[in-house]
Amino acid sequence: MDDLLRSAFAAVEAEETLKAKTRETLFKKTRGYSVSPSRRAYRVGWAVAAVCLLLFAGLSAGLFFTPVSAISVDINPSLELEVNRFDRVIAVKGCNQDGMELAQKLDLQFMEYGKAIEALLSNSHIQAYLEQGESLSIYVACDDQQRGDAMLSTVKSCTGQQRNVHCHGGGQVESTAAHAAGLSCGKYQAFLELQSLDPSITADDVQNMTMREIRERILALSGDVSKASGHHGHNHGGRH
Amino acid sequence: MRSEQEANRAIEQYAGLVRRICLMHLKNQADSEDIFQTVFMKYVLSSAVFQSEEHEKAWFVRVTINACKDLLKSFFRTHNVPLEDLTELPADTPQDTRDVLEAVLSLPKKYRDAVYLHYFEGYTAPEISKFMHKNVNTVYSLLTRSKKLLREKLGGDGNG
Repeated sequence: MDDLLRSAFAAVEAEETLKAKTRETLFKKTRGYSVSPSRRAYRVGWAVAAVCLLLFAGLSAGLFFTPVSAISVDINPSLELEVNRFDRVIAVKGCNQDGMELAQKLDLQFMEYGKAIEALLSNSHIQAYLEQGESLSIYVACDDQQRGDAMLSTVKSCTGQQRNVHCHGGGQVESTAAHAAGLSCGKYQAFLELQSLDPSITADDVQNMTMREIRERILALSGDVSKASGHHGHNHGGRH
Repeated sequence: MRSEQEANRAIEQYAGLVRRICLMHLKNQADSEDIFQTVFMKYVLSSAVFQSEEHEKAWFVRVTINACKDLLKSFFRTHNVPLEDLTELPADTPQDTRDVLEAVLSLPKKYRDAVYLHYFEGYTAPEISKFMHKNVNTVYSLLTRSKKLLREKLGGDGNG
């Protein structure tokens, strides 16, 4: 029985084709015995993870650096803060010479916009203008009505203690038109108001006027006492 | 990772052993090919240091048995009817050899490894018990019962 079994098992051998196929497969899977398949799998895994991470980072950066609203601040220096969907200031632009000089001195980048407005209002240059009785206009431009209202509300609460501050809100269309005219949003709104009373006035004319000067011109032309109240009061306005 | 030379040497040396264990568990060429690739790839990637040839051979026995069991347990196998082709033996294989192999393959699965490892590879019951993760006495029983069953099937009086 033992011999029978032994000789029967001895008749079973691995076919040469099977051995050759195994050798070939091993050679392929190990890339000529240079890389183990598991290490290759790790490399592929890392590469996929890196691509995903890059895509995610790119998408996040794209979202982060896309402005969805703008806050225009005008007194004499005219500034515009671009705000992203995460309520962070992503750019500070000066709209006139004074504004550009002030923008360079301020460090509002990536600040939450409410804090940025507070920092701006506490700036010594702005304070000096306010003490001289200048009028400060803050205009929130946002196409999303709900977000725009919330931002306007926040901006108003930030300016609560200040006198001669006008807060307004509107869509990005107004903002685009203001930029086309070479004015900041706040000044552009005041310009439109003035132009409705005096059609001969141009954007160039108001470019170097302070907000108080524009307000005074409006007041003089309209003779409307209610307009004057805006000049001396604070936190007026709403979305246009 | 081991070198190509080491892999080729192992294939030459242990292909027969792996093929015969495959025969005990599997009944088609495609499955045997899978087991060959699995076992020899494990060898190539293994960092195990073998103290002797016997040690290395035991590693191949254990890895091949486990690979066969894993293949039979796999989801695909358990949800598909396997091809029950007759063992592919060379055409000139004598009939009495075919009869013996068929008798071995007709034994319940649990007997086959013990029969092969004992009668062909010469392993003792305690050694087989380690490969099969079974009690030594169980292995003795398996060998005794399988011998009895083979005698009945083959009709011989045996010599061992």
